[in-house]
Amino acid sequence: MSEDLDARAGEYVLGLLDHDEAEACAARLVADPAFARAVEHWRSRLAEFDLSAPAQVPSAAVWARIAAATARPAAAPSPARTTRPASGWRLALAAAWESLPVWRGIGMGAAAAALLLAIGLGFQMRETARAPVLVAVLLSDDNRPAAVVNTFRDGRAELVPLAALRAPEGKALQVWTLWDRARGPVSVGLVNALHSLDLQLKGLPTAVPEQLFEVTLEPAGGSPTGRPTGPILMKGTASRAL
Amino acid sequence: MAVMTSSATRIDPDALARALEGCARGDHACLREIYDRIAPQMTGVAIRLLRRRDLAEDVVHDTFVRIWEKAATFDPARGSAVTWIFAILRHRALNVLRAEGRTDLTDDFEPLALASDAPDAEAVVCALSEAGALRRCLERLDPPRRVAIVLAYTRGLSHGELAGRMGIPLGTAKSWIRRSLLALRECMA
Repeated sequence: MSEDLDARAGEYVLGLLDHDEAEACAARLVADPAFARAVEHWRSRLAEFDLSAPAQVPSAAVWARIAAATARPAAAPSPARTTRPASGWRLALAAAWESLPVWRGIGMGAAAAALLLAIGLGFQMRETARAPVLVAVLLSDDNRPAAVVNTFRDGRAELVPLAALRAPEGKALQVWTLWDRARGPVSVGLVNALHSLDLQLKGLPTAVPEQLFEVTLEPAGGSPTGRPTGPILMKGTASRAL
Repeated sequence: MAVMTSSATRIDPDALARALEGCARGDHACLREIYDRIAPQMTGVAIRLLRRRDLAEDVVHDTFVRIWEKAATFDPARGSAVTWIFAILRHRALNVLRAEGRTDLTDDFEPLALASDAPDAEAVVCALSEAGALRRCLERLDPPRRVAIVLAYTRGLSHGELAGRMGIPLGTAKSWIRRSLLALRECMA
């Protein structure tokens, strides 16, 4: 019996199984701790194949896309990870992250939660004296809300991040706005890590609906050309707050 | 061993485990640290499986997004950070291989081509540490069985594809692999 279990775990880790068989194994990882241990054992036995593969430096765009896609809070840390043994639901979690439908659900759930947060933030602010005139929700390239820009009657504007985002070493995050294609994008903020910040709109025309706000990844110190040069991490257009 | 020193320093399982804990706290710099340490190795593995850099880089991207979102579920008691990360990468890459696009990726696979694969597979074995159990135990297998195991893992071939390349019935291929796996398990125990 143990031979069957071990051989099946080995076939799964080798990657020999077709889609349905592999899904059945993923489900078995949840239900059968002995199978989960056998799989982990095979992974460590065969890990040297991966560690001895010729390394290939990924192109620079890969990290920029990762930075954009992860510009939101990670899943909340599990509350009792230091004390809990490998319990059934942890194994269930382990299998769940191997299941595409679960991932899609989590992704959509996270986006929905972030959007609710953005909307909630808008409501809260409207109730204060400093009600924004315009609100722009900046979306990452996978359409997740990453930040909100609020502009106010007195001409101030602020950016409120909805996700942690830090520029890698030697890079910076630059905030731009565009209201007139003839003039082009104008830099209104430069930071290493996203935090709530006041945007530098002084001297610019009053913000208008459909005005574009975006954050790009630039060299430390800001774009050398005065125009965005790096990948767009998030962008959105302003709408009038009701 | 000497040739592995630089990547072995970067791919330090303890440092990776600490960086995963940082990701679980939402520290984005820790994700970058993982990327700097292991992304080139991941890209190498993905290119070997998918044989197209663009697809491989997509899989590396998807894997880092999952690492960021799922870091809190990493449990050092169950396995190393390195196998956790590579399990996500391999799962993604195999999904791409098994998806519809697979025929594009396998067009250049000729039937009964195992003989021409053998030098590649032996090169993979030669890249393993001479002192390691994996190499020692693979070398105890008959050459065709060793080639089959290596191709399955490093190229992501399915049972059916292996049988086609070996020119043997599917059932025979399955029982070869099964016996080879059990021999490996005994040898590496």
